[in-house]
Amino acid sequence: MKIYSCCEKDSISKRFYCPECRSSEFAEKEVSDDGTVYSYTKIHIAPAEFADIAPYNVVLVDLDEANAKVTTRMEEDVEIGDKVTFDRLEKGAYIYKKVPERVQLH
Amino acid sequence: MTSTYIHGIGMTKFGRLESSLKELLLEACNEAVKDAGNPKIDAVFVGNFMGGSISNQEILGAIVANELGLGYIPSTKVEGACASGGIAFRQGILGIMSGEYDTVLVAGAEKMKHASTPDVTQAINSAMDTTTTEKMAGLTFPGFFGVLANRYFYETGASKEHLARVALKNRENGVNNPLAQFPKHTSLEEILSARMITDPLGLFDCSPMTDGAAAVVISKKKSPIAVKASSQVSGPTKMQDAIDLLSIPAIGESGRLAYEKAGLGPEDIDVVEIHDCFSMTEIIATEELGFFNRLEGWKAVEEGRTKVDGDKPVNTSGGLLSRGHPIGATGLAQIYQLVRQLRGNAANQLAKNPRLALAQNLGGTGSYSTVHILERV
Repeated sequence: MKIYSCCEKDSISKRFYCPECRSSEFAEKEVSDDGTVYSYTKIHIAPAEFADIAPYNVVLVDLDEANAKVTTRMEEDVEIGDKVTFDRLEKGAYIYKKVPERVQLH
Repeated sequence: MTSTYIHGIGMTKFGRLESSLKELLLEACNEAVKDAGNPKIDAVFVGNFMGGSISNQEILGAIVANELGLGYIPSTKVEGACASGGIAFRQGILGIMSGEYDTVLVAGAEKMKHASTPDVTQAINSAMDTTTTEKMAGLTFPGFFGVLANRYFYETGASKEHLARVALKNRENGVNNPLAQFPKHTSLEEILSARMITDPLGLFDCSPMTDGAAAVVISKKKSPIAVKASSQVSGPTKMQDAIDLLSIPAIGESGRLAYEKAGLGPEDIDVVEIHDCFSMTEIIATEELGFFNRLEGWKAVEEGRTKVDGDKPVNTSGGLLSRGHPIGATGLAQIYQLVRQLRGNAANQLAKNPRLALAQNLGGTGSYSTVHILERV
């Protein structure tokens, strides 16, 4: 996962300008895709463009290696605190998946 | 500085209506102008969100000026998502404060029920930043508040039942409001077992699609109801960039500014109309506006403090949840209810004869917030 940083603030999305110093140059760093479920919802009533995949989960993931969150979509149901990781990029969306239990033990 | 006073109010029935967007708008405007004693109007501001996308109708300001025969006066449509009405009201106030206008007609209107739910959901999604990966993930407008609610439960011990109590209170209030969309009583059981919209928000936790309009005439000339403060701020437009998901800083900051301008605090306010687009939003807003401690708004609900007979009555009109939410009209429907409370002839009129009233109108997922404080003088 790529993180954009300026003035000690991390973000998953590249802003046009840093709100602190107005620079358009952001430090880029690669961090682990792994994260923890911060919160979630299952969307039953979807806008027209997503109606064919409803219901689906939208999950806000707190990245383990950055002070940043990323809004993802997941097929599995989750609880707050579950360990999750990146699965694939699909039509501009981050699709995440659960980390299997046995891996979490290490 | 020039003070602003409220002279007239008008509001259509809210719900599924036969009338067109134009007819609704004109009905509310005509009622407000008549209620004000038919004064000369110097300018018109109209709050509207989806007239262009859903009804293919813009130039609403000029339509009002022309159809009501107001003359060759300036008119403007104002867009700020669900805060369009509150922002239009503020623009009118600023026009009077600047000295440019003596008397202004402000209206808000929306026509939604003729369109399909997926199409309206899609149109409402334009009130998020549509260029982001989170929009591509399928996040919806209600979805944002669903994510917020699950985290709120996790951190506070609140549950779906507290949301249901907000929905039930606003329904009980709405039943007594002849202009409200939902005239039927409901129960906690019915609310809790209703179909899910976006977990944990069920059908009764979400404001409905609504047709309707509301209008207000304001002037620098004195009347028994003064606008004591007007504030507006912008806030974060993306969920993943929120510093604290359980805070909607636009609400808190607009409240703080309004209290400062009025020289008042939350403890002084007698009656409140809050932007309860979702039951969860009402709880967060009561915290942000300082009525209750942060992360304790749900306890106030449990204790009945926001009911009509509580110490801080919220949404005596039924709120967006039961009065209905014709997007551009909502900010002015809030003012309509508060003026009726201050005049002493409101639906769910408070026994204590309120003197200070506060309206808070939210746009987007915290992108805009306006606060207005009214005073019976």
